[in-house]
Formats: sequence, structure tokens, C-alpha cells
Amino acid sequence: MQAPHKEHLYKLLVIGDLGVGKTSIIKRYVHQNFSSHYRATIGVDFALKVLHWDPETVVRLQLWDIAGQERFGNMTRVYYREAMGAFIVFDVTRPATFEAVAKWKNDLDSKLTLPNGKPVSVVLLANKCDQGKDVLVNNGLKMDQFCKEHGFVGWFETSAKENINIDEASRCLVKHILANECDLIETIEPDIVKPHLTSPKVVSCSGCAKS
Amino acid sequence: MELTEHSIPVDVARQRELKWLEMFSNWDKWLSRRFQKVKLRCRKGIPSSLRAKAWQYLSNSKELLEQNPGKFEELERAPGDPKWLDVIEKDLHRQFPFHEMFAARGGHGQQDLYRILKAYTIYRPDEGYCQAQAPVAAVLLMHMPAEQAFWCLVQICDKYLPGYYSAGLEAIQLDGEIFFALLRRASPLAHRHLRRQRIDPVLYMTEWFMCIFARTLPWASVLRVWDMFFCEGVKIIFRVALVLLRHTLGTVEKLRSCQGMYETMEQLRNLPQQCMQEDFLVHEVGLGLSTP
Repeated sequence: MQAPHKEHLYKLLVIGDLGVGKTSIIKRYVHQNFSSHYRATIGVDFALKVLHWDPETVVRLQLWDIAGQERFGNMTRVYYREAMGAFIVFDVTRPATFEAVAKWKNDLDSKLTLPNGKPVSVVLLANKCDQGKDVLVNNGLKMDQFCKEHGFVGWFETSAKENINIDEASRCLVKHILANECDLIETIEPDIVKPHLTSPKVVSCSGCAKS
Repeated sequence: MELTEHSIPVDVARQRELKWLEMFSNWDKWLSRRFQKVKLRCRKGIPSSLRAKAWQYLSNSKELLEQNPGKFEELERAPGDPKWLDVIEKDLHRQFPFHEMFAARGGHGQQDLYRILKAYTIYRPDEGYCQAQAPVAAVLLMHMPAEQAFWCLVQICDKYLPGYYSAGLEAIQLDGEIFFALLRRASPLAHRHLRRQRIDPVLYMTEWFMCIFARTLPWASVLRVWDMFFCEGVKIIFRVALVLLRHTLGTVEKLRSCQGMYETMEQLRNLPQQCMQEDFLVHEVGLGLSTP
């Protein structure tokens, strides 16, 4: 077998209110199991997932499991640093955790941007969908609209317990990060000479403000 | 979880108990005139039969309880802020989930945990509830009844670690910076390594400090650390953390397996067994304390 040509390492954040199942999602994704005996996360925890993306590409995902209690939000700037993407998780059985989604998204966007100044890709996870009380996401169109308005690249109904849609959600996020990275190389790599002189993707830096 | 006292001869154990009983009977005198001796005895480990009592004497929570008769029941009867109660309830089954006392949903351990965490949010409405308080409260409940555990928790939150659990979490972040500055002297190699990999102290020390190592060390070591902590205070936490870092990232050899930030974090989450072993750890902590 031929060795893969490309390797990527991405730091991904898993954020959302307390008790929505962030740790369970990560354990399911990385260790393929589920337990109802996880401890509450204090501070931050980590896990690594290796994805064989295609025959030529290996993607390593560093998953950062961040404590959900509001007061740990004071440390999020440190946790977010250099992340390339995120999952924001809510619990379909608890509407308040959905209301907090926009708050988490704002916190993320205000503290973290890609080197080109754009926000990182974020996928929304409607977790615990196995519990059958998902009144919130019954209306898929509404969820699509919500994602569009708040800048999510997609959303999935997930269940860490029943292993529903977690791999799919991750592939979606990685796909967007890979696509973003192509953009990034074009926009911040000055040595690439492009024929399109008036590319719309040119970003201005603070040193050359357009007056 | 290893709960048995490590092997010391029966007669030595009996001697120690008698010494502690003698201290309890003249506690104020011992504390004011022979504190060094008290300290030394805490370092040797408090006999498990007297540990709960000693923790309450050392923290002064015994006096607090006596000064506030009926206060705990009064706090229990108060309705409490639903915002905190909701969060506390979510955490009840997530503390020492494999400990027999806390394993059963709605079991007596979880009920007591709810009682004291709730009582604290009413006692200190400005502080409310912090998730890191639950493991601390659980360790106390493994040793003493709810009312005593409550006052002991109050002393930890108010006197030993003020601000650690408050809304802004500033105190823990500040202690993270202080710890990192101390590390520079204790282990320049580990310090440089962490700085180069841009590993902020809050990434690894938050749980250690806020839970007083209750979720980090083997059980026998947790108890020995808490014995010293109740006597000498927060500096014990710093010392333990310095020992752990020195023995995890303190040599060129050890750093070889920490090429990237993730590898380093893995090492810090899977500390070498040897440096966490109770006698070794207590010995190393003691060495640090004897130097000025």
C-alpha cells in the first residue's frame, strides 16, 4: 500500500451548554462507545481522532472538550486559540440549551478567526435525538434558516448513545475546513501569482486600510 | 479506588491515634504553641479513623458549625435559585460515578451532595455554584455527615481557596500564572518546554487546583495531600503540582516524547504512576517545603 501524500492536523472545539453531551459525543466518535458514567468536565479535556479521508489524505483531529458551565467561559480565549473548526452542541430535550447556541457562536466568533479574518467553520449538533422529544428540530426548514442566519455550515441530529450522525457531522466539518484551507493558502500566500487581478477574495490588513 | 491505609504496623498506628486524640483534647494549645509538630503529624498522614475530625479541627469548620446551630437546616429549607439547582442536579450523577456512595441515581450520596451544594448557593448567593465544587464536596461527604461537610466546604471556598469558584474564575487564572512563574525556578526545562509549545497553565492545572487533585491522584495520595492541605493551605497544591511537572516534563529524556502540544498534554493527563505514589509524592513535597 502506498503511503498517504497529505497529512492534516486540525484542532476542533466541542462547545455548548453543560450536560448536552459533548464528552459523550467525543467518546463515541473516538472510542466507539457510550457510557452514562462520564464525569463532568472541569476546564478542558482532549481526544485525538485519525481519519483516512481519501487514499491520499490523512486527517488528524484534535478534539477539545470544553467545560459547559458559563463561568468557564472566562477561559475560552485560551481554549479557542488556533482552532480550525467547531461543533456547537445542544440537547434537543432542553430548549434552554438551544437558546444558548447563538451565545456560544458569538463568543466563538468574537475570540477566534482564521488567519484571513474569516470565522471558522462551525457545525451545529442537535444531540440526544434518540430521546424522541425533538420538538425543536421537527421543522428542518426552520433549522436550515437558523444555520444560515447564524453562520453555521450545517446541522445534524445526533445521538452519542445510539451512534447517529456523528461521523457524518464530522465529515461535513472537515470538508468545509479543507475547502477553507485552499482559500486560505490563496489569500495569505503572497508568492502565488494569480491571473485574476481583481480577485474578490483579497483581504485588507490593518496596515493598509482603505480610506 | 484504594481506600485502605498503607501498611504501617498496628502498634505504630495505635500510637498515632493516641497522639491525635491527645492533640484534640488540647487543640488550641497545640495549634498556637506546637504548630510545627501538628504540621509534621499531618505530613505523616492522619490516621483514617480520625481523619474527618482532624480535617474539621484543622479547617476550623468545627467552630463554625458550633457558632451556627441550625443554620444548615435553615439553608436547606430555603427554596434556592432554580438556575443553580438545575445545574447542580445535572452534576449529581457525574461525581465519582464508580464510587458506591455516588453510583446510584438518587442514592443517599447524591442526595447529600445536592443538599450541601444547594445550601452553599444560598449561603453565598453572590458565588452560586461552580462545577469544580462538586468533587470537593463529594470527597468531604465520603468522610463526614452532610452538615459537617457543608461547613468544611465553606471553609475551603472562603478561607483556603478564596475566589477559586467565583463567577469570573480570576483567582484560579492568577494562581495559574503564579504557578508558571514558580515552575521556572523548580524546573527550568519544563517551564521552557511549556512556554515554547504555548501551553497556558489553565490548560492543565485548572482541574488539579480546583479539585485539590481529587480527580487526578490515586486515592491514598489524595488523602495524604488533603491532610497536608488542611494544615498548611494552598501552598501544598502548588508544591504537589510542581513535583508532578518536574517528574513528567523535567528531563530531556522525558521531553523527547513530547514533540507537539498534543503529546505534552497527553503526558500531563497520564502522569507517571511513580510520582503519584503516596510516599514518594509526600516525600518530594516535603523536600520542597523545607527549602526557604
